[in-house]
This record gives sequence, structure tokens and C-alpha cells, in this order.
Amino acid sequence: MRRLAHFIREALVNIRLNWTTTVIAVATTAFTLACFGVFLLLYLNLRAVATSLQSDFKVVVYVQESVPAQGVAQLQSLLKADPGVQVVSYVSKEQALADFRAQFPADSHLLQGLGENPLPASFVVSLSPSLRSPDAVRRWAERVKSVPGVEQVQYSRDWIDNLTAIVGYLELVAVGIGTVLSAASATIIASTIRLTLYARREEIEIMRLIGATSSFIRIPYLIEGTMLGMMGSAVALAILKGGFELFKVRLGMPGRFLGIDSGVQFFSGQVVGLIAAAGLILGFIGSLVSALDLEKAK
Amino acid sequence: MPLRCQGTICDREPRMIQIFHATKYYERRPAITDICLQIEKGEFVVLRGPSGAGKTTLLKLIYCAAPLDEGQVLIQGRTVTHLKASAVPYLRRTMGVVFQDCKLLPKKSVYDNVALPLLIEGASAPEIRRMVMEALKAVGVEHRKESRPAMLSAGEQQRVCIARAIVNQPIILLADEPTGNMDAELAHEIVELFKTINSRGTTVLVATHNKQVIEQVGRRVVTLDQGKILADEGQGL
Repeated sequence: MRRLAHFIREALVNIRLNWTTTVIAVATTAFTLACFGVFLLLYLNLRAVATSLQSDFKVVVYVQESVPAQGVAQLQSLLKADPGVQVVSYVSKEQALADFRAQFPADSHLLQGLGENPLPASFVVSLSPSLRSPDAVRRWAERVKSVPGVEQVQYSRDWIDNLTAIVGYLELVAVGIGTVLSAASATIIASTIRLTLYARREEIEIMRLIGATSSFIRIPYLIEGTMLGMMGSAVALAILKGGFELFKVRLGMPGRFLGIDSGVQFFSGQVVGLIAAAGLILGFIGSLVSALDLEKAK
Repeated sequence: MPLRCQGTICDREPRMIQIFHATKYYERRPAITDICLQIEKGEFVVLRGPSGAGKTTLLKLIYCAAPLDEGQVLIQGRTVTHLKASAVPYLRRTMGVVFQDCKLLPKKSVYDNVALPLLIEGASAPEIRRMVMEALKAVGVEHRKESRPAMLSAGEQQRVCIARAIVNQPIILLADEPTGNMDAELAHEIVELFKTINSRGTTVLVATHNKQVIEQVGRRVVTLDQGKILADEGQGL
């Protein structure tokens, strides 16, 4: 316990005495983690949007005009029995007309001249998550289209697929940028610790001469690096939170209009914890790299 | 005419320090050549010789601060010549070293400097407090315990260095020109302190060229010159 107190005190003394390098290390770690955090925020929010759109994805199966009520019921049973189908709801011709009028009240007069209701009855189908890939949906639609009584199967998920692809690319970019920035951050912390070791090489030598083991000498520097990483991640999270709130204010009216203002979310507590842990780990790795080179500080 | 080696490595009656045919080069220049020396437990030995005679090198070989090129060094019958790097700190903890240039940690207080060997050993807080204060009292600098080394005189710094060397009650005390920065009166006090430490059973080896110190000690004197032992007088005193 006494030793632990000594190690922590030594680390704090190092941080205080080398405040210039400390500030540089914390600022650089904060900057790199904040850059990564921006990508992570963008990625997580876009992924949430894509996931939400995918779960809302529906396929419309139009029923031929000539199919009698019994045939419609058989078709509904067939769809319900399909293992790839989650939910099926029937929209009758009358319901379709009512929906059209409700959605487009200004254009409802367009249907008046046609006399008879031209809108077909349909089934609105939600597919199970395993059938949401573009290929699976296409195969399913082709199969259902060949069922007697089915006029047409309609779905439009090109833009959902495009968004999903963008999220996939963004994931790759985030991983790439994260790796590069993490390496940069760890290197800077390693350099900071190395500078400290170099500045204190005489003290280190004295400690060796009076019987200190390498681990006794190294541990304060490992604690120092870990503290620098933690401080860096705390500053990064503060910057990200401030920037996020500012972004939400700026998003304002256009965001509400597009319906994305309430969907845009900051990191969950778990991700905040992970970013803090990332700073801590980067700091530890950086200091470990330098502390293992202790022999060179002789 | 250098003295010939007495005893062999096979003399397994464990002596405190045994040096056999030790040779050490610095950039191909021999610092000591074929040195043989045996020091009994509880002995007080003065290493005498001019600058460059090899006194500091000999002390460094004992506390493993310089690797030996030829020969062997044994402490309490165990060879330390090819000691693993990880074992060296534990050997050093059995010795107290008073360095010529004190080697105090400048950013630490006198108290913290003296406490360091105990902290390294993992002593408890009350034990550290008690032993540090005892060591500081023994060298007469307890009133400066809060000071930084830079605020002390050269003599006070040397005394703090001695306090650090004796605080963990080592079995061997090595001192390299311990009175180099002191006036005659203070040097006398320090030698008396070494004698007291020696009287408690600690083996003391002091390297010096100060005649006053040598006369005051009045014990065994080993004379070195150009890396060789020229004389070994007063054994058993």
C-alpha cells in the first residue's frame, strides 16, 4: 500500500514537473481521440438510421383483380405460412383508396374521373431479418410473384442498400483512421515518457545503485502514461459532447423538418466508457513501450 | 612489487568479501590488474591510493556497478561476477554505498532520500519513520529532514548520503572518498561514525587518500597504485 502510494505520488510529481510535455501529450491524445470520436459518432448514427430503415422495410404484394375473396384468404394464409415472413397485413381496395385520399387530399380528385376504384388490393409484408439482404429479397419477390393470383411484388430498397453500403465503408474508414490515430497517440505518449526518462536518467541510475528493481523504477512511469491517456480521453469526450450539442442547436429547424433531430444521439454510457478505456490503454501502451527501453536511459 | 594472491576460490570458509585475480579494463586500459583481496566479516578496511589507483573500480566491482573482465568476486561465499541483472538489486540491498559525489535525488527531501532504500525493500510506514529518524540522528542532520539536497552544505549532503547507506542496516558499508567534501573536524566525526557502525558488526570498506582518515581508523590498510595492490598492512586489527 505504501509502495502504491509512492508510485502514484511519483507519477503525479512527474506530471507536475513536466507540465509542458504533459499538456502536449494530453492535447494530442485528446485531439486524436476526438477525431476518431467524430467518425464514431457519424458511423453510429448512420448505422442506427440504416438499421431503423431496414427494420421498417416492407414489401407490397398486389393481388390480381380477378381473385375472389376466398382466393385472397388463401393467399394470405400462404404468406403467413412463409417462414421468411414476419407480419402480413391485408389492404383492401377500399382501404387503399381511403389511404390515398388521406395521404394526398389535394390530388383525390384525380381518381374521381375513373369511376370505379382503380387501386388494387394488396398485402403489406414485413420480412424476417434473415431475408433483408438485397439478394434474399429479390429471390423471395420472384418466388411470390409466380404464385397464382399475385399481380405484382413491389419493393424499393435501393437507397436503403446504398445507405447500408455507405455505413459499411464508413466502418472501414473509422477502423483505419482509428488505428492510425491510436498509433499516433500511443507514440506521442511514448515520446513524452521517453523524454521524462531521459531527463531523469541520473535519478534512475541512483535508484538502481541503491537496489531498486526495474519494475520499481518503471511502475510510476506506467501510471503516468495511463493518467495522461485518461486525461486525454476525458478532454476528447468533453470536446465531442460540446461539439455535439452545438451541432444539434445548429441542426435546429432543418433537422426537425427532416425528422432526424430526435434520432441523432450522443454516445451511450457504454461507448463513453470504451473511449475512456481506449485513452487509458493507449497511455499504458505508450508508457510501456518507453519504460521497457529503460536500459537506454542509463 | 605487487602482492601475490593468497587463498583460492576453493577456500570455502565464507568470508564477507573475496576478490580473486580481478582485472577490469576501461577502453582497453586496465583500471585494476589481477587484484586479490579477502575481507572478513566485521573488518574495517581502508583502501588507500592516489587518484586513478583503482579504488573506485574495486568498490564498483563489489556492488556490481561495473562488470568484471577477468577473475571473480564473492560476497559471503557466493559469486557475484556473473550475477543475473534481475538479481543485482537484491545484492545491492545488502550493502550501503557512500558515493564520492553523494548521488542524492535532487527533487526529494532529505527524509525521502534516506527513506528510499527502505521503501524499495517494502518496509512498513512506521518502520520507515523510525529507521530514517535513527539514521538521520546518527549522522546529525535530523533537523534538515525537510530540506532538499541543494539547500545543504557539501558536508551535510555527505552525511545524508551516509544516512541513506546505513538506514537499512547493511552487512557491508562501502564508502568512496566519504570525507572528500569535509573539513578536518567533520571528517573526524564521520570516521568515528564509521567506527561505530563497524563496532555493530558491519563490514566497512573505505576508499580514501586522506592520511588523517587512515591514521584515525588505525585498522587494516590496503594500498593500491596503478590498479595493483602494493601493500596490505594491519590485517586482523
